[in-house]
Amino acid sequence: MTSLEIRLRALGHELDLPPDPPDLATRVLAELQGRRPFPWRRAAVLALAVLAIAVAAAFAVPQARTAILRFFHLGGANVIRVDTLPPARERSLTHGFGKPLPQAGAERLLGFRMALPPVHGHPPARVYVIGNSIGTVALRRHGRPVLLSEFKSFGAQSLKKLMTAATTVEPVTVNGGAGLWIKGAPHTLTYFDRSFGFQERPVLIRGNVLLWVRGPLTLRLEGDLDRAAAIELARTVH
Amino acid sequence: MVDRPLETELVERARRGDLHAWETIVRTHQGIAFRTAYVMAGNAADAEEAAQDGFVKAYRALGRFRRGAPFRPWLLRIVANEARNRRRSAARRERLSLRAAAEARPGDAVPSPEAALLSRESQGQLLAAVERLSDDHRDAIACRYLLDLSEDETAAALGIRRGTVKSRVSRALERLREELEGEL
Repeated sequence: MTSLEIRLRALGHELDLPPDPPDLATRVLAELQGRRPFPWRRAAVLALAVLAIAVAAAFAVPQARTAILRFFHLGGANVIRVDTLPPARERSLTHGFGKPLPQAGAERLLGFRMALPPVHGHPPARVYVIGNSIGTVALRRHGRPVLLSEFKSFGAQSLKKLMTAATTVEPVTVNGGAGLWIKGAPHTLTYFDRSFGFQERPVLIRGNVLLWVRGPLTLRLEGDLDRAAAIELARTVH
Repeated sequence: MVDRPLETELVERARRGDLHAWETIVRTHQGIAFRTAYVMAGNAADAEEAAQDGFVKAYRALGRFRRGAPFRPWLLRIVANEARNRRRSAARRERLSLRAAAEARPGDAVPSPEAALLSRESQGQLLAAVERLSDDHRDAIACRYLLDLSEDETAAALGIRRGTVKSRVSRALERLREELEGEL
């Protein structure tokens, strides 16, 4: 073996490889044990499951014995219209996003690569990670802060938004894929934590939100943007 | 790690529908399957999916596995194929990088700080040169040396003949020597 080959072998031991995925065997077995029904049956089961989750989600929040008026499902997010919002703490655009990490460390924790808009050669200074599930970066557009959050779906209940009739939800298209434009009155947000499960501490969001799906990721832009500006920004996120 | 006779028995049991046998096989090979998928796909999320889907597809394809053939190359071919499909559809592949700090193993001699830094810079240059290779050459080097796969396993993972592995590795090594001339 030549010295170059020896160095290449040694290089293999010095690579920054992510840790092995946890419990791959359990997930493989779960998939193999689940019988695959005919498509129509699968769709019906899925629709019922989403309905059950939406009902459970709305009534799971303390003091929110709300009537469900309508719900939308997009990627890993459920958007549920209710008649009253549950009590929620308000979050500013600058606090409460979890631990700040360098981009590479955050992506290792999240288990996916963040999709980002062009940043002129500079990676984001920090990625904030909540519950090892949701990565958030703060961007600036026209001098105003905008948040870009991303998460991989862990079922139909990875992220939940509750809103009243005063908030409008409009289907939109982002890069040829489905999206939702949420505008108007404040709404609440709760999320699934990979380590600790569903978090029952809803936070109040006052900005407009664009939700869209890119491959296995669900993305959301939040901030003081109008619909056209939000979609324009979302189109540059790759 | 399970020995060859036990693995053959586990594969036979799995072929007859024994999921517990397949679970043992998954636990035995999930590390190398995930690392192979990561090197091919270029990111952890795709690698995780590729490894998981690969194990599911391999189980369903056990009826086509030739009895007595080495199992790991057959499995890695399926996982690597899943990973390559994801790389084709991804906008870009992340580059491999070195660990943040070299971890000393018990019994290792401790190098001087200068020697450690030089070694690290030198390995960083080598990794950059590997990443500059064409995809075919880079994958051959990654499987054969970085993942330490055998020639048969490399051939299976890349879906090419063993002779093609030899020629690709040979040309890639030549290219690396040219790139690193003076530095080696």
